[in-house]
Amino acid sequence: MKINLSLLFLLVSLVALGQKPNVKTEQDYYEIKTLPIPKEIYLEVGGLATMPDGRLAVSTRRGEIWIIENPYQKDSHQTYYRRFASGLHEILGLAYKDGVFYCSQRGELTKISDVDRDGVADLYEPIYQFEVSGNYHEYTYGPVFDKNGDMLVTLNLAWVGFGEGKFSKWRGWLVKIHPDGTLEPHSAGLRSPAGYSINHEGDIFYGENQGDWVGSGRVTHLEKGDFAGNPGGIKWAKEPNSPFKLTLEDIPDNGQPMFEAAKKVKNLKLPAVWFPHAIMGISTSDILEDTTKGKFSPFPGQYFVSDQGQSKVMRMSLEKVNGVYQGFCINYREGFQSGILRERFGLDGSMFVGMTSRGWGSTGKDDFGLQRLTWNGIMPFEINTIHAQVDGFEISFTQPVDVKSIKNAASYALRSYIYKYHHQYGSPIINVGDLKVKGITISADKKTVRISIDGIRQYYIHEFILKGIRNEDGEPLLHETAYFTLNQIPTGEKMALNASTAIIEEKAVLMPTEPTNNKSVAKVKTEIVSDEQAMALLKKHTCLACHAKDKKLIGPSYEDIAKRKYSNQQILDLVYKPNPQNWPDYATEMAPMSHVPAKDVLKIASWINSIGSKNDNLLNRD
Amino acid sequence: MKKIIFFFLIPLGVWAQQSIPLSDLGAFDKPSNNWTIEQGIKAQYSDTSFQISSGKGIIVNTLRNGKYKRTDDLKLKLNHGDIHFMMDFMLPKGANSGIYLQGRYEVQLFDSWGKKTLKFGDCGGIYERWDDARGKGNEGYEGFAPRQNACKAPGLWQSIDIDFEAPRFDAAGKKIKNAIFKKVVLNGVLIQENIEVSGMTRGAIFEKEGAFGPILIQGDHGPVAFKNIRYETYDKPTASLSGITYEYFEGKFVEPIVGNAVAVTKGKLAALTHKVIKARNDYLIHYQGDLQIPEADEYEFQTHWTGSGVLKIDGKELNSGAHWYTDQVRMSVPLTAGKHKFELIHVKDFPWGPKALGVFVKRIGSRLVAFHDRTSLPDPEPVGLIEVKANAEPVYQRSFTFHKGQKKMYAFHLGDPTGVSYSYDLKQAALLQVWRGKFLNATQMWQDRGEPQTSEPMGLNVLLDGKFPLVLSSSVQADSLEVGQLAYKGYKIQHGRPVFMYEWPAIQLKIEDRIVPNENGNGWKRTFSFIGASPQASNLEVVLGNSPDVVSVKPGLIALQGMSYYVQWEGAPAIILNGSSASKQVRVPVQGNSFTYQMIW
Repeated sequence: MKINLSLLFLLVSLVALGQKPNVKTEQDYYEIKTLPIPKEIYLEVGGLATMPDGRLAVSTRRGEIWIIENPYQKDSHQTYYRRFASGLHEILGLAYKDGVFYCSQRGELTKISDVDRDGVADLYEPIYQFEVSGNYHEYTYGPVFDKNGDMLVTLNLAWVGFGEGKFSKWRGWLVKIHPDGTLEPHSAGLRSPAGYSINHEGDIFYGENQGDWVGSGRVTHLEKGDFAGNPGGIKWAKEPNSPFKLTLEDIPDNGQPMFEAAKKVKNLKLPAVWFPHAIMGISTSDILEDTTKGKFSPFPGQYFVSDQGQSKVMRMSLEKVNGVYQGFCINYREGFQSGILRERFGLDGSMFVGMTSRGWGSTGKDDFGLQRLTWNGIMPFEINTIHAQVDGFEISFTQPVDVKSIKNAASYALRSYIYKYHHQYGSPIINVGDLKVKGITISADKKTVRISIDGIRQYYIHEFILKGIRNEDGEPLLHETAYFTLNQIPTGEKMALNASTAIIEEKAVLMPTEPTNNKSVAKVKTEIVSDEQAMALLKKHTCLACHAKDKKLIGPSYEDIAKRKYSNQQILDLVYKPNPQNWPDYATEMAPMSHVPAKDVLKIASWINSIGSKNDNLLNRD
Repeated sequence: MKKIIFFFLIPLGVWAQQSIPLSDLGAFDKPSNNWTIEQGIKAQYSDTSFQISSGKGIIVNTLRNGKYKRTDDLKLKLNHGDIHFMMDFMLPKGANSGIYLQGRYEVQLFDSWGKKTLKFGDCGGIYERWDDARGKGNEGYEGFAPRQNACKAPGLWQSIDIDFEAPRFDAAGKKIKNAIFKKVVLNGVLIQENIEVSGMTRGAIFEKEGAFGPILIQGDHGPVAFKNIRYETYDKPTASLSGITYEYFEGKFVEPIVGNAVAVTKGKLAALTHKVIKARNDYLIHYQGDLQIPEADEYEFQTHWTGSGVLKIDGKELNSGAHWYTDQVRMSVPLTAGKHKFELIHVKDFPWGPKALGVFVKRIGSRLVAFHDRTSLPDPEPVGLIEVKANAEPVYQRSFTFHKGQKKMYAFHLGDPTGVSYSYDLKQAALLQVWRGKFLNATQMWQDRGEPQTSEPMGLNVLLDGKFPLVLSSSVQADSLEVGQLAYKGYKIQHGRPVFMYEWPAIQLKIEDRIVPNENGNGWKRTFSFIGASPQASNLEVVLGNSPDVVSVKPGLIALQGMSYYVQWEGAPAIILNGSSASKQVRVPVQGNSFTYQMIW
């Protein structure tokens, strides 16, 4: 029986191979390994700490710290869990330093020691007690140690229909707790700062989720006295030790982009990189600089940003222009088992990924999980870096590119846009502008390409969809879409536009990046939209990141939406201007998707309503 | 985005039960002379009998005839069918009694204090039925042990609350429905729910089941005392609704006002239901009907809807406002016998949340009845219990917790395998509560996003004052201390349990607070150790409790809060201060570098 199955599998594999040659996927390069969790442990991960002796410590929402032996699964796949500490109040951050654990509880930064060295904690000491009002949304994250031994802690805003920090001191802030237990306010304007870290230069970066005053997810570089945009905790800027003075009245709330507000509001810090909502995650969590010198990924020195809602790890690359950080984000690896909250590098250069979906929901369906992300050493064809130029960008690739595809104008789909800065939850994309490739030069090794572009704009997100670019083997990029946030345009020499740099405007026949079913390109004559057509549209516009046909993900299933019996026009209106109150049982609000063409939304809407009618006989059962 | 939370106040209807006067024995049917009316009793938890002070207010069973016999059973004159019966009772060590509903179905009263495994014969158990025909050794059946041991120590007042539904008979006298214990609540803990019994307990005073019978209290097994006996029977006729019509409107209605709108549909209904509403939202429905009131009395209306609504009786507005369907809105109104005009208008102008409509009416002396169809009021969301257990070793858990209506942010709960638990406020070095039985319900903290973020005791709870217990002899105890007044320094784990550490800058004192189960495992032993300045020189005192009443049982043993728990200590006698209010404060001066006391309940 076994042999038969294997043969069958082989046949199926061969058939599959025959159908889609050369289509590489993330798992061909970036492997996810799952650490088994004993069934009686509810490991809703809040913090991870790798220990120098090869063990891994995990803290949980239920207030436990588990020490896992054999987490690298070297000689056997089994891991062993020992409970080191318990009884704490929602540990959303864990650090291990000099043989002692430090963790955040809701109202306390706590030091936990094993004085008698029996492997179980026996001393719990408060380093700092934070004010808490009792609101569930006042999460406390950290600590992250800086090089002086000070502890950084971030303090989430309360939620009362909007983010509010006034109930408890320093909510909405990143604070530094000195080892003697004194607090130094560092930076403010934070809404939901679940993940933050310090890079090798000592600079602090934090990830923010879309929400009120936050048009989309983003990563911001925080320096002392910075105000990152959400004024929920601005009340505390009046305190004598606040590093800056600002009041709510100083903050414009007119829906103009954030950079316009930053021209008027001193201290308002623009993000280093925007993570466009629903495409590059919906709830950025941890940030980690790849310091493994090539062990973890083909991208040493770049950053890996996880997303809770979409259960994935994205890549971010930074540069500094005029002293200001900027850069791009791109997908890296999706398909984790639950919502990622924490990333930590293991001793072998793999990355531990700690997860929980709890009431927040996530694409990965498990309630919690612990996995490890590794690179198998095979070089994928990927965008390596993007650097801003005076007249465009310089893009480097991991492999030499096919010159013909690089020169072809049809290989590029580029545009730029930005988000509103206002008290409302989220934002549609606004001020969309076209970008036109004017000229191209290629380095001698064919790995670096400079693109001169008409229409680049300071402060804007520049979207790159490089769907036509091939390597010399004719393979497409593993990830073709990247988003560059252009905070500063550097000076330098512009590209000379001449015959050698000219772009070829011929209408090339593009290799599809994914096998396309012939049926799906057939013209839609009636409003009957097939599942295949609908799925293609839903995928194209990233709807599937949050919705599925028949099951609840981040958002409701299409079958559930169908039960609401909205008209196609109502669905269009709701896609463009969602009303989260329609779905009170879902933790994550939908972002306005007004950039999706109306004709596509209406096709999707008619498909939704067609699945609804099929299930009509199941409705109204008591 | 979450559900909109509607805040509301419930004006609770008067919950007036009948009470049995205990100024004399007039309410009882030929009581034996073992039963007497007294003013007060007390006992140590190791005593098998009471110390009695004469007067009025409680009824006590004391041996006067050489032996306790069946004729010492105490029968109330009250003859009842359905009944909600409540009383306080006190048992000395080893005591055994019971409450027979209708003189037929027994709920056991027994000194089960501290027992680990429970049977039907333990306190709060529903005693077995008996049938000789089942054969020797198998005669007993259908006994129901309580869900957990909620029995207090001997010598403390305990409470029991029984909601009983009598069996039903057809016109020919044939039983058509068994008796049901709808609820039994012992000392605030639900220990039985919806337990149906097919027949009588062996000790019943009747040969056959019947629609009525008297409450019988067992008096043949030894001393026992009762007070505060209250009941509500359910034999009165109640309100009904007939001639129901509805008018249904569509459109944007924010307030439940019909105005000039034109009905989309109208019709007649057998019972109120939202099922005639077509739209998901943006509608108004107007129900009218004839409210039949059998007898003049106060009637309480409980309404449920998602959205807004108004209930009017004879045109007078009663229940109203914006609510979620799980909210219970209750309003009472006195009504005369006869027909009254019933009117209900409901609107829902938002799409989220289930459509729901429910109207209940309650008259004292009659059960709650629904005016709506069953399918008109959806069930609340089903959420499974998340229980923290402490079966094998001490288990501790921090959380937010409610204490006397206030949310405490730095609460620490400990459950011990001996069966006792406590909640402690780390910021105040204060005990919030102690309990016995199951440990902690963490559902509100760990289910979904855990919005209340609270956990709560699952057993027999004794609420304490939650105040820092140390004072200087000349000073007043503070209600609450700020960070600068008391420094929390953490806790160390010794033998699996925490030792809390503090610094009290007022007298440069380091304090260690150890709370461990006492030798018998039936309470907590709390020891303060003082390190630093001499406590004697500082005139340090420990506040053992604040209570409106303090009963000194013997030197070093007092009962507090209506004799609901004991405090026991060795050393100096207590100083009892009469506070400004009705509260007394018990203090003991500290001698030496430590002080120990126990809490037993």
